[in-house]
Amino acid sequence: MKSKAWTEKFMQGVFFIAACASVLAVALICVFLFANGVPAMKEIGFVEFITGKMWKPNNDLYGIFPMIIGSLYVTAGAIVFGVPIGILTSVFMAMYCPKAIYKPLKAATELLAGIPSVVYGFFGLVVLVPWIREFGRTLKQAGITDSSGNGSGILTASLLLGMMILPTIIGTTESAIRAVPEHYYEGALALGATHERSIFTIVIPAAKSGVIAGIVLGIGRAVGETMAVIMVAGNQTWIPESLLKGVRTLTANIVIEMGYATGLHREALIATGVVLFVFILIINFSVALLKRRSEHE
Amino acid sequence: MKMKKFIAVCSIAGMLAAAVTGCGSGSTDSKDSSASEWDSSNDITVVSREDGSGTRGAFIELFGVQEEVDGDKVDMTTEGAQITNSTSVMLTTVAGDEYAIGYVSLGSLDETVKAVKIDGAEATAENIKSGTYKVSRPFNIATKEDLDNEVAEDFINFIMSEEGQKVVSDNGYIPVDDVKAFEGTQPSGKAVIGGSSSIAPVMEKLAEAYKEVNPNAELELQTSDSTTGMTSAVDGSYDIGMASRELKDEELSQGLKATVIATDGIAVIVNKGNPTEDMSTEQVKSIYTGEALSWDEVTE
Repeated sequence: MKSKAWTEKFMQGVFFIAACASVLAVALICVFLFANGVPAMKEIGFVEFITGKMWKPNNDLYGIFPMIIGSLYVTAGAIVFGVPIGILTSVFMAMYCPKAIYKPLKAATELLAGIPSVVYGFFGLVVLVPWIREFGRTLKQAGITDSSGNGSGILTASLLLGMMILPTIIGTTESAIRAVPEHYYEGALALGATHERSIFTIVIPAAKSGVIAGIVLGIGRAVGETMAVIMVAGNQTWIPESLLKGVRTLTANIVIEMGYATGLHREALIATGVVLFVFILIINFSVALLKRRSEHE
Repeated sequence: MKMKKFIAVCSIAGMLAAAVTGCGSGSTDSKDSSASEWDSSNDITVVSREDGSGTRGAFIELFGVQEEVDGDKVDMTTEGAQITNSTSVMLTTVAGDEYAIGYVSLGSLDETVKAVKIDGAEATAENIKSGTYKVSRPFNIATKEDLDNEVAEDFINFIMSEEGQKVVSDNGYIPVDDVKAFEGTQPSGKAVIGGSSSIAPVMEKLAEAYKEVNPNAELELQTSDSTTGMTSAVDGSYDIGMASRELKDEELSQGLKATVIATDGIAVIVNKGNPTEDMSTEQVKSIYTGEALSWDEVTE
């Protein structure tokens, strides 16, 4: 008996240490980011760093406002393309899909999640960029826009990111819809509603918080995506005037310049990471809030 | 009512998405026919490397894109320039866009793009050596002043010998003059070399050639970037650091000693469909500073 109690305690300790590892990792990252980033922010000036419109590290101008705007534009674009397609796909998968199609469809969406982002990036560079370039030049020739852009820009990055966040949105939304009790749907049918009406007025509103959580997770993925965006976004450090113009996101800024940065430049890039980290914190916090709300309902 | 609204919103969004992709795919069909038509009034796609890159630093200095304002050197590269941190993206972008211009290391130049002549001189190793093609930069290796690794020393002697410099010139780079034949001491041991990804390909060839001369030695090559190469050489994790740029004062003050092992040309590249063959330094500068926005403004 005694030895059993001892092994029990011991294993408990092992589990505890395992549980601590992830907390420790997060804590270490936090400490590293803030210890390196905050002094740089102070040196540059917090307000200048966040709202400055010029990023010229060689001349000690560190303003990341264009990158913040860039991240917001690209993420918003990804939502515009990804969310409607994602939600409708999951509705189809949960409520309409014949069994024969379901398996390959599910496998395809899961595969979409497994493709490495650099492969998405290369696909974007070789396929999407030339499309958008021709699209832009056609628009310019038709006199609709002044500048055609060159294919790399907000629109291209949004399309690609929209594609990349699909699996996140589809997965979460589908399970949220499936979690709605069957009798909600049956009750709606019994009251004389059609199949579509039951789905869109009863089932989806009931699954609302899960759907929104899926969208927010998708936003998190879009904000954090780096490799694919670098390859198709153009990466100019300006505030773009049109959808066809290039942007640089916060993540792209770090990766592009980290290799050659020294001194304050390097610290400014880590400070960019701090801003990004705060963005992700806000997103995760809102997911937690949504979850809590859905539990109360 | 609510449901109708929802469906309407969804269908509009879906139609928008379909319209964009539809336009895109529609225009690829016409791409083949328009590929042969060169319309010089189209916007130039300016592609540049990232701030701080060795290639960019050399490029802006040599073409005068860098200007001195109040004693500070200011990089005047146009804000509209597309930025990439990889040579392969640079090549793919220029190869795929008829109106693009970019620049790469001479050693990375391939058949998919066209290198233009600068002030009438073609971008070749001979022209760089004779000085007619002026766009070049040094490849540096750096060691600590108190280096006590026999293999690393012997390898550096090899690089700076006739045999080593032959490898350099065979790979399309410009060798250093006045070198003697190699006299190795055949030390055994291990040396770690790391740094700039621009130098790595030629360094790999050099290491292979050295292993044939001295099979006792073990060389480990790590590819990162110039700055990592220098900081790692300072802290001792690399015996030899590689930098595709001049060393900064703060790096030299930490006890690093630089040696130029080769010179690399920078080729200005355009799409193969671009009729431009020859450009002046001024024309390249006007594109990169954003004065000229379309190809007809350049050729005027």
